[in-house]
Order: sequence, then structure tokens, then C-alpha cells
Amino acid sequence: MRRIPDASPRGRAITVDLEGEAVPAVEGEPVACSLLVAGEDLLARSIKYHRPRGAFCFAAACSHCLMRVDGLPNVYTCRTPARAGMRLERQNAFPSAKIDLFGTIDWFFPRGLDHHEMFAGVPVAEQVMAKVARQLAGLGLLPPHEAPARLPARILRIRVAVVGGGAAGLAAAKVLSERGVPFLLLERDERVGGRLTRGAPLPDDPAVPEVASLPKGSVLTRTHAIGLYDDEGGRFLAAVAQEPEGLRFLQIHADRILLAPGGHPGLLPFENNDLPGVYAGRAASMLLREHDVAPKAAALVGWGPELHALARLLETHRTKVTAVVDLRGPLPGGAHSTACVGSEPKAHGLKRVGSFSFTRENGKRKKVDCDAVLVSIPPSPSFELARQGGATVNFDAERGLFAVQAEANGSTAAPDLFVAGDITGGGTAREAAAAGARAAEALIGGLS
Amino acid sequence: MSKALICSCEDVTVEDVRHALSRGYNDVESVKRYTGFGTGICQGKSCLAAVAALIAKEGPLKPPGIQPFTPRPPLYPTEMSLFATTPVDESRPPVGGVPEELGTFPPALRPAAPLPSKARVVIIGGGVMGLALAYNLSLRGETDVVVLERGYLCAGASGRNGGGVRMQWGTSANIELARRSIDLMKQFARDLGINVWLRQGGYLFLAKTASVAKRLERNAALHNKHGVPTRIITADAAREIVPGLTMKGVLTACFNPEDGVIFPWPFLWGYAQHCLKKGIKVETFTNVTGFESSGGLVRKVKTDRGDIACDTVVLAAGAWSPEIAKLADVKLPNEPHRHEILSTEPLKPFLGPLVSVLDSGLYFSQSMRGEIVGGMGDPKEPAGLNMGSTLRFVARFSQALMEQLPQVGHVKVLRQWAGCYDVTPDNNPVLGRTPGLENLLQMSGFVGHGFMMAPAVAERMAAWMATGEHDELFHRFNLRRFTSGRIERGEDMIIG
Repeated sequence: MRRIPDASPRGRAITVDLEGEAVPAVEGEPVACSLLVAGEDLLARSIKYHRPRGAFCFAAACSHCLMRVDGLPNVYTCRTPARAGMRLERQNAFPSAKIDLFGTIDWFFPRGLDHHEMFAGVPVAEQVMAKVARQLAGLGLLPPHEAPARLPARILRIRVAVVGGGAAGLAAAKVLSERGVPFLLLERDERVGGRLTRGAPLPDDPAVPEVASLPKGSVLTRTHAIGLYDDEGGRFLAAVAQEPEGLRFLQIHADRILLAPGGHPGLLPFENNDLPGVYAGRAASMLLREHDVAPKAAALVGWGPELHALARLLETHRTKVTAVVDLRGPLPGGAHSTACVGSEPKAHGLKRVGSFSFTRENGKRKKVDCDAVLVSIPPSPSFELARQGGATVNFDAERGLFAVQAEANGSTAAPDLFVAGDITGGGTAREAAAAGARAAEALIGGLS
Repeated sequence: MSKALICSCEDVTVEDVRHALSRGYNDVESVKRYTGFGTGICQGKSCLAAVAALIAKEGPLKPPGIQPFTPRPPLYPTEMSLFATTPVDESRPPVGGVPEELGTFPPALRPAAPLPSKARVVIIGGGVMGLALAYNLSLRGETDVVVLERGYLCAGASGRNGGGVRMQWGTSANIELARRSIDLMKQFARDLGINVWLRQGGYLFLAKTASVAKRLERNAALHNKHGVPTRIITADAAREIVPGLTMKGVLTACFNPEDGVIFPWPFLWGYAQHCLKKGIKVETFTNVTGFESSGGLVRKVKTDRGDIACDTVVLAAGAWSPEIAKLADVKLPNEPHRHEILSTEPLKPFLGPLVSVLDSGLYFSQSMRGEIVGGMGDPKEPAGLNMGSTLRFVARFSQALMEQLPQVGHVKVLRQWAGCYDVTPDNNPVLGRTPGLENLLQMSGFVGHGFMMAPAVAERMAAWMATGEHDELFHRFNLRRFTSGRIERGEDMIIG
């Protein structure tokens, strides 16, 4: 990964402390992004086999980038803004993540390690194993100090709560605002936009609605919804907001809840899919569009319109695209010159991706050089809150994902719960925006 | 080394999922538990769809039998210090909770093969009690047994408890049963070929009120009489065992180094795999719908997959037992009570024993995987089958734990869930024959500690069933005691 040569700086140049070494960074960007650009793509060792790991999803949806940050264990460096002097340490390695002796576990157990039956009932060996396993288990150390005094929790009451400020959530907010319905929109990122500002653009993407046109105070950014509870106080969303003075817990009671949280970048199972240098497609587009960071040469694998849109986006920014392997096909019109239908993808490299291979339709393997493998598959709908709230979730075998069951107007099995966008199983940003607007209209209709 | 990861938080490979399918763990919840996928820091965000797709492609289940595992709050790892800021109204009882987990198993999950039409013994409940009993019956040569389970293995309290095992009890009966159980747990891997990760880090009980302190002291003396090395210790000694523990307001502490924690799930898998090898049928996703009785005997157990004629029925359905007994017109005094629990991010080992404040019902320990696992009883919890999770619980637990161990404020909660205690009026179990239905045997009412008692109770129950020899356990704790008024001093070391 590198910063695009002629990009203008997006923030102040600072340094962060990586295990005692000063590493250049850009203030405010995800610190994992700064580390990648500095050539530090090995961020951790995996929990069991001590495999090398680097950032993958940039969405707090995996665990590849977890580091000890300023003494706190298991911090998502993909979501933590770089700050001058912040201390970063790699976890789960001895003596260091670069030369980790426990990495040999991966080689000793090429076919995997069955912790249920290994040494089960073998005298002495099982006791030794139990002791060793306990020391090897766990990630990170207990924080050395107490947490600071936290801001008091805040209980908010509002007509409509919208979770997610992507295409669907913003379109819904626009409708609610035009109709004068008080609402709160929770966006976990620093800025709203979702894939409209961070994804690989599709030709028919709608424009990003202006947040300035929405009522003041109706959009809470850097706010993570963490649960949809139903306690003695009624139903509410629980969320954690990053406020200027610190983190604050919120309980949001709303007459109607519209869930438009999008989806999680999923793992695509193939050999070495966890190697540093394998990234989610949406991570790559986000790094490029928000931070001017891109691979020198990338191999793309996956399926769906975003795969091919990502190839186009990368080429516009002079990343060499060495392969676009569509695992489903057929190829759409205007696909990249290297695009082909293929199968059995595999990433190669010891500590980072160096090349990528796959099987072509004619049955022959093909190998290409690259410094990144980008996995672009439709996101896995973030159905968790909807399911907690009583909506029905079904498995769509065709698309290989779980999606929330909803009517065309976004209504679900739970009367106060509406959904729109990727949570219902995918579609383009334009479709998501239309669904968000429809859901907003429908839920307003039900408000007395 | 080349591996294809399907859950990278827990290093679960595609081959691991195939291995689980080959063992007959076909549904998503079972594959999750057997492989560990989805139990890591991302809680399934990056892996669930890929695993489900593989299960649908290579396993016997097809949609709608492909269901996501229960998405438990919080959606993102969240520090206890933040949960602790949310206000709790202790004057109101807790209600509700998410997600609704009862009665959610779709018929598509039911096994395709027909149920046997008859069996000598039908055991209702495929939790640790029922499966341990089936295993012990097989050791005595009885293999004409069917175990009926309403969900997947581990769906009930056996899959939801904190894994604590202890000999520190308030009655001789429980002390002896627990001692025997822990011995059986030590040799479980040898007997059944699967690791259960018993770690004897001890149980440290704290008392903050005079009456509880007195109880600890009296019980410690009883433990010693039974050869259990419990000792009353000073605040300094307690802090040596658990560095950082605040002892403010603690009057007495007692510690037994031989207590410990286990990993509950492999017990069920170990027993069930053994039963299957011996020809015992373990029928998951099967609901009991009624009984056919005549002449003071149960003749048939009716299920939603057909009826089974039988000689003996054992009711080992934990918190569901009263509901099922009612189908046979038997009234059990048991009441289900929800108990909530949570698990944090995995940390390197720092906590040896399970610590419990007996007054408040707070308990916490560190699992073999490094997570802090803990819960806390809620005095206002109403009776009822409810396995929903509440914010109130995480808030109360976080406040209480931070008071006891302030460093945990920054520790992040990964998931919370709930299970049901099966509570009896005297905190003692319900065992033995049912008055009026002589071949309906009771094996319930373990008030939240059934898991650790099961290996020993099942061993004695199988012996009693097979030989007919007198065993006081099945007379002392018979259902009759509630009508005859012969209730002894109840168990007083219940946590929560």
C-alpha cells in the first residue's frame, strides 16, 4: 500500500510509537492506514496458529487489526484515529510479531489442531497441554489502570431513530426532514455517506444528500448502535457516542426505528485469505477515496457489480490491476481487460501477499504478481439489531447470506421496526436510497 | 502454511466446519459451538455468512433449516465502564429482554429419520442430566434408550452456565455429590475422549453481611468434616489469590483451592457421541407434546415427531420440567428463573479462582480461553421461562464487578446471554418416583448447579434404576416431601 504520489495531504504529519519506534502517520486517519503506508502491515498474530495478520475489513467486523493501544488490549486500529505519540503494540506474539516462535504451531498442524480430542485422556500430556493452552489462550493483557470517570448516560426520546447514514439512511432522513418528523440518525463513522463516499462508485449512484440541509442536531456521527433492547422501560436502542469530552452511553427511545446499518465485509474462504495484504473490497475503496491510499498492484476476486466497479476505481488512480477473478460470472459489459471467470483463488506469500493464483475456466492455474488481494463480495447484512427487535431473518442460499425479511415498504415482523438498504440482502446504492425513502414514508404513515 | 480460514478471530478453517458436519453437528448453532466459529471478537460479523453457505452446500440442512445463531448484544465490544453508567431502577422487577429465544426452532431442523416407536427408557431433556444418565445406563448395559431434546445440544442451561464446579456447599448431600462429580470430571477425557478443560483454580467466596459471613464459617466447618480443604482466609490472603481485589465491606472470605471451572459444552458432546456409538438415540429438535398413561403408569411419550411406547420415563428437562410434568397432570413445585451472564474479550491469564460475593450473587471467573465470564442474580427477577438479555443486567454486573475489581472498567463485553435456573422451594433437587405415576422418574430442580452435579447424580440414578437397590438420594429428595411437610434444611450456598 502506498499513498498516491500527487495527493494533497489530508491531515497533519505526525508520528506514532510502534513498539518503541517512531512511525510516520497522518493525524486523524485510521492508524492502521498510517501503519500500512509506513510498510508496517503485520499488526498481530492470530489466536491459535499465530498466523501473521494485517488489517482486512476497516469496518470493525473482523479481528485482524487488533492491537494494544496506549495500554488497552484488543483495540480496532482500523477505527482508531492516529494521534501524535500514541503507543501501539502487537499482541499474541513471542518474542515479536515479526519473529514469533509460536508461529511454528501453524506448521506443526498443517491439517489443523483439534482442541477437543488432542491429548484427550493421555496421562501427563493432557495436564501439560491444559497448562500450556491456558498460557497461550487470550489476547492482550488486563488493562493496567482503572477506566476514567465516564460521562453520565443520556436517555433520549424521539419520534424516529435511524441507524446508519449510508444511501438508505440518508434518503430516509431527507424524507423525514421534509415532512417535519423529528428524528435522530446514528452514524458510526466520522462522516455520513456510507458507500456513496467510500465505496466503488457505480454509474447510477445518487448524489450524497447534504447533511447541512437536515435539522441541526439530528445526525449523531461517531455513534455506534450496540443493541436493540426491550426492558422494563420499553424498547430502546443502546448506543455509544464519541463526544468531544469522551464516550457517552445513550439510550434512545423512539416510536419507530429504521435500521439501515448496511452490511459487514465477509471473509471469502480460500487458502491464505487471512494473509496481510488481503483486504475487503470496501476497505480498498475507502482507503483510496478517503485517504488516497492504494495498492501498487492488486488482484481482485469476488462477484457482483462492486467487484468490477472497484477495478475501474483503482485503474483511474493508477493502481495496476493484475487480475479480476469473477467467481460467479458471467462478466458484465465493460469489465476490466484482465477480468475472467475463475475459481479456487489462493493468496501466496509468507508474511504478506506477494502473488495470487486461480483456476481459469479452461482448468489451467494462473498466477499473477500483486501486493494486495482485494475481496469484493456483497456485504453480509447487519441483521443483528433487527433480529433483537423481533424481525425475521432468512438465509438466501442463492446469494449466500442472511437477510432481514421485509415488505417493499421496509416494514418487518415487528410493527415499530423498518429496514432499508443492504440489511435486506443487497442491491445498488440507488436501490438502497429508494428503499430508504419508501420506508420513511411508510413509517410516517403509521405515526399518530 | 496454507490454510483457508472461515472464522479468522478463532482460527477456524473450512476443514474444521466439515469435521463438525461429519460428527453430525449440522445446524448453525451446533457448528458454532463445536468449532468455535463466531465466538471471537467480531461475534460472527465476518464469518457467519460463509459458514452458513458451506453448511447449506455440504450438510443435510437446507433453508429454512439454516438459521443464524442468536445475535447477542453488544453489537460492538463495549467497555464495562460505559455499561456501568446506565441507570438501574432496583425497585422494579426486570422484564423482557432480547432476543426472544423460546420456541424459535423451525420444523425444518427436525431430523429426517423416524423416531423409534418404542424404547425401554425415554429420557426427556438432552441436557447434561439426561445425557449423563443415558451414558451411565449404557455402562450398565441398558442401551434401549431414547433421549429427547427440544433444541440443539447445549440449547438449555447446560450450554448457558458459567462452568463453575465446587465442593463448597451447605449440605452434606451436595458436598458429597460435588466431590464425586469433580473426580469424574477429572477422568472425563479418559472415559469419553474429549477435553473438558477442568482448571482447579479454586472458589473464593466473599461475605459482606453478618448473616452470610456466619453461613460461610458454618459451612467451611462442614466442608472440613467431609475432607474438603476449605479455609476461612483474611482479606490480605484473598488479595494474594486475586491481586487487585478490593475487600471493602467484606467481613469474611473462604477459599477451597480444589474447586474450579470447566468448559461445559464438551460434556454434552462426549456423552452424546458415546450414546450414539452404543445405539442410544439422541433426538434433537424434538418436542414432547403429551403422555399416554393408564393404571398409574406412563405408557407412551407423545412428541411432534410421533409417539414412543416405553417402560420408564425420566424427566430431566431442567427449567422446562414443570411445563412437561403438567402434560402428565403432575404438578412440580419448581419454578424457572432467568439468570443472565456475560463474557468479555479474551485476556491473558490474570484470575485464578472463581470469585463470588454470596450476598449479591455476583460471580466471575476467567475461562480457559481468557474471557471473564460472570453473572449476578437479580432479587427482583420474576418466575418464568425467559432467556432474553437486558441492559439492566450488564449495567448491574459492570457496576458490581468494577467495585470488586476496578481494573476491569476498560475490559470490553463481547456478548451477553441468559439461561434459566430450575428453582425448588428448599433449593434441593426433585428426584425419584412420581407419586401416582410410578414409572415417571424425576431428575430436576438443581437450582443453577445441576451441571456440576450431573456426573455424580447420573451415576447413582443409573445404579438405582438398574439394580433397584435402595439409595437414600431418591427417597429424601422425592416429590412427596412437599406434600408431607418433611422438608429438611435447604441448601444455602446458592449463588444469585
